[in-house]
Amino acid sequence: MENITKRQLFNVGLFLFSIFIAVPLIISATGRWDFYFTLTSVALLAIASAGVWLTFYIGRINIGQGAFALIGAYVSAILVVKGGISFWISLPAAGIFAAIVAIFIGMLVLRLRGVYFAMITLVLTQVVTLTALALPITNGAKGISSIPLPSGVSLFGIPILPDFATMANTKLAFYYTACILMVLTYAALYRLVNSRLGHLCRSMQQNEELASSIGVNIAHIRIVIFAISSFFGGIGGAMFGSIAQSVYPSSFQVADSVNFMLNCFLGGLGYVFGPMLGTLVLYFGWDLLFELGKYQMLVYSIILIAVIRFLPNGLLSLQFGKGARK
Amino acid sequence: MEQILANGVYLGSQYAMIALGLTLIFALMNVLNFAHGQMYVIGGFVTYTFYGQLGVPFVLALLMSCISLAILGALIEKFLFAPVIKGSKREESTMLLAAGIAFLLDALILLIFGEKQRGVPKIIDGVFNWDFRVIMPYDRILICVLAILSIICFICFMQYSKTGRALRALAQDRTAAQLMGVNVDRYSMIGFALGAMLAGLVGGLLVTITGINLGMGGPTSIKAFMMVMIGGAGVISGAIAGGIILGFMEAIGLAVLSQYGDITYLLIFVSLMIFLAIRPQGLMGKPWG
Amino acid sequence: MQRRALMKAAMIAMSMTALQTTTALAENPVLKIGFVGVTSGPAASWGISNQRSMETRAAWINETGGYKIGDTTYDIEIVSFDDQKDPKRAIAGMEKMAQEGIHYVVGPNVDDGAAAVRPVAEANGIMYFPYAFPKSLYTKPASNAILGMVANYQSGPAIYKYLMKEKGVKTVAFIAANESDPLSQRDSGVAAAKALGLDVVSDNVTYQVDTTDFTPVLTPIMRERPDLLVLSGVSPANAPQLIRSARELGFQGVISTETAQDAGVLTEGAGDLANGFISVGGASTPELASPMMIEFVDRYTKMFGEYNDESNTKVYALEYILETLKADPAAITDVTAFQTTMDRFEAPNPYMKGDAKLRYVGMSSFGQRRQVAVPLVVNVFQDGAFETLFVAEVD
Repeated sequence: MENITKRQLFNVGLFLFSIFIAVPLIISATGRWDFYFTLTSVALLAIASAGVWLTFYIGRINIGQGAFALIGAYVSAILVVKGGISFWISLPAAGIFAAIVAIFIGMLVLRLRGVYFAMITLVLTQVVTLTALALPITNGAKGISSIPLPSGVSLFGIPILPDFATMANTKLAFYYTACILMVLTYAALYRLVNSRLGHLCRSMQQNEELASSIGVNIAHIRIVIFAISSFFGGIGGAMFGSIAQSVYPSSFQVADSVNFMLNCFLGGLGYVFGPMLGTLVLYFGWDLLFELGKYQMLVYSIILIAVIRFLPNGLLSLQFGKGARK
Repeated sequence: MEQILANGVYLGSQYAMIALGLTLIFALMNVLNFAHGQMYVIGGFVTYTFYGQLGVPFVLALLMSCISLAILGALIEKFLFAPVIKGSKREESTMLLAAGIAFLLDALILLIFGEKQRGVPKIIDGVFNWDFRVIMPYDRILICVLAILSIICFICFMQYSKTGRALRALAQDRTAAQLMGVNVDRYSMIGFALGAMLAGLVGGLLVTITGINLGMGGPTSIKAFMMVMIGGAGVISGAIAGGIILGFMEAIGLAVLSQYGDITYLLIFVSLMIFLAIRPQGLMGKPWG
Repeated sequence: MQRRALMKAAMIAMSMTALQTTTALAENPVLKIGFVGVTSGPAASWGISNQRSMETRAAWINETGGYKIGDTTYDIEIVSFDDQKDPKRAIAGMEKMAQEGIHYVVGPNVDDGAAAVRPVAEANGIMYFPYAFPKSLYTKPASNAILGMVANYQSGPAIYKYLMKEKGVKTVAFIAANESDPLSQRDSGVAAAKALGLDVVSDNVTYQVDTTDFTPVLTPIMRERPDLLVLSGVSPANAPQLIRSARELGFQGVISTETAQDAGVLTEGAGDLANGFISVGGASTPELASPMMIEFVDRYTKMFGEYNDESNTKVYALEYILETLKADPAAITDVTAFQTTMDRFEAPNPYMKGDAKLRYVGMSSFGQRRQVAVPLVVNVFQDGAFETLFVAEVD
């Protein structure tokens, strides 16, 4: 942490300014209120993608984040609807539950590598979807709908968080909540990557046997990382359930798992903020191309292919390439 | 029981063929081709257009499927995969490219062939019925036989032809193959084209039975991944074994577990996960494929 | 450098599309009607048939001089959004509709999407017409969703009753895809069948959405030898294969479904084996189609090259929106006016012969008028075309 430069501080400040002040200003100036939801989605999906990125960091291709997002969404929905608990408590509970599930599953599957790990996590996504369809507590195929909006929280009579249901503009509230969560997630991610654990992860990414031979407890680290990754997934999913006020087994499925992974690739696997940018471009890009009608998918995929064709190391490699040439 | 076995053989042979193309591409270039299912769908639509719409004989239509997919595969390899593999730091990046191609092909299929389910007239009518113990329509038997024949042809090709030997060398060790004078770029392209062609061939064969629609692509890819993982990634015999195992798992699972209804597939997937957890490289794969 | 230029060009192109404003100069003011549904991927056929029937009708109206509501004549523009069958996208789509100032939206096509867009629709004053059956969407406190077709818990009993009387059906088996919509439809179908005194011999066989070979799936059901096999919520892509597999396994009974199907798809996929297959349709069979319906099919075919019989049930939503607006021009921007008008609205049904009426129903199912009254037309497939078996009404 000691080697944060002024420039980096400035960049972080600029980023915070733009998401918390500039974006709302621009939106109210242009009147594009619909962008709030899109950007909220981007923030939430970026949280889940951050988890996927973290598993990439220990050299695992994770196509199972949709499973943990769905678990998170269901845990939160069940706690709020059936348990009558405040959403703000159910949110961390969803993350923790997803992390616990990840620990159990991780013990089984983290031994796998490469495409095998990718495959087993993909299957995991389907397993969770099918489980949600079969279990009585998740309400099976009917899903859980009409979830109340997050209620207010007050400590010693002082309101800390407002009641979303009484709010005139829940869009803005959700936007800020999602952005705060995203900032926290990425701050944590940055801190993690630059900690001792981060160094150990990098050594594992290079060569697990070697890392293990110099005394790194790789099995332990793998599980910790996978649990953190899934925690992010659970948080993102729970928040989404609350916005949609409904959760279905199909809320997060294989396509979502694949997209989380693509976000990381597109942003660049070598950069902490890669998944955030990747999510923004992939998700927002689709929305921007909305006017193209039936050619939307065609243009979208061509742009995607062009990007990866010319920037195979992700969008952020653009900036680094310039730096290297200097 | 006999019926379950017959279903298993039929499913297994078609699955094995789907998995073959995928595993070939994976073995050669370490690319997990997300667009494999879309290639299968295109193969189906080409056969549908020529056989179902234009009245060309079935065998010729099948050949058209093979040729068009081989060309498509070669182009994709040459202009997209090869440069990306050369330029990327981590070879997993090709997954994004593969997914992009899958989206693109999906969009093209929708624009060219439309959204409807398509089917062709049966190639032969009639049902083989052995005392209600084994019921199998003749066209299924024919497709099953054709699929097995194609698999045998493919194995012979890989085993005995010069191209096949070069491809196997490439799969084993890229650098060594290059040192031995194999033109790596050229054979990578041929291999990719061959893999795509196999996808097209299965698509063309199966359109006579299951028909084809644009939604089949993604799920087919995922199923093919599973088979490849069961057998072991990048191993041809593994893909065949994986296909047959998944075929039998479905046939047996659906028959035995039918009273549990909704959770049949859940159990199939869970057992797959447990199997992979116990044997992380599949049945016969290289450990860290 | 080249790369950066390329990226820049791409970025500019993207922002151009974003900021693009509609500059089409029409003589008439434009009334925008939205569509949020799935028009790509495996279920594309549901949304596309929907979107195309709306576009056909809009083009037809515009060509003949526009649609008169109150004192103004409008051109109709259809704004469609592809939600990729993803509830998250569906919300984005509904937000987009709100952004465009649209108050009337057709879709989404599936349960989860319809439930997910509810908060947005109610917050922004949008009436939407989902093709999803969960009762919670239409019963109070939900206010803005109107069921755009006949629900399976309404059509199912009618079909079963008919088959019990005419064909002596006593036992029934259900099969459904392992997915929210079909499973919910199966459950309500089973309940309806039991209420009618039918013997349900099998109700838990499911198949994965991506199944291509249905023989192993159907084998256990065939052992029960039911008189009737119900394909709950079957997608048009799967129906012909299920029928073919069942017949090839020697099934002799009746096969039926409560969703709309396409005759062309059935012919190609199952041929003569599909004869006798019972499904729900709109009003395009020769016995029922009015000249307007015939012209609609004609225009649709000209516009898109090929008709889709699923569109028969989907022509109505747009017609209802426009007719109701005509009855109460204030409703163009005011959804509460629309809701009050719904209670007394009535207009002749232009797509059907005879004196059928367009009106809002649903009192017995939802306790409020939140369903369009479309004729419950039950069709049977015979030699490549549908024939009408009987017509019923939903209250």
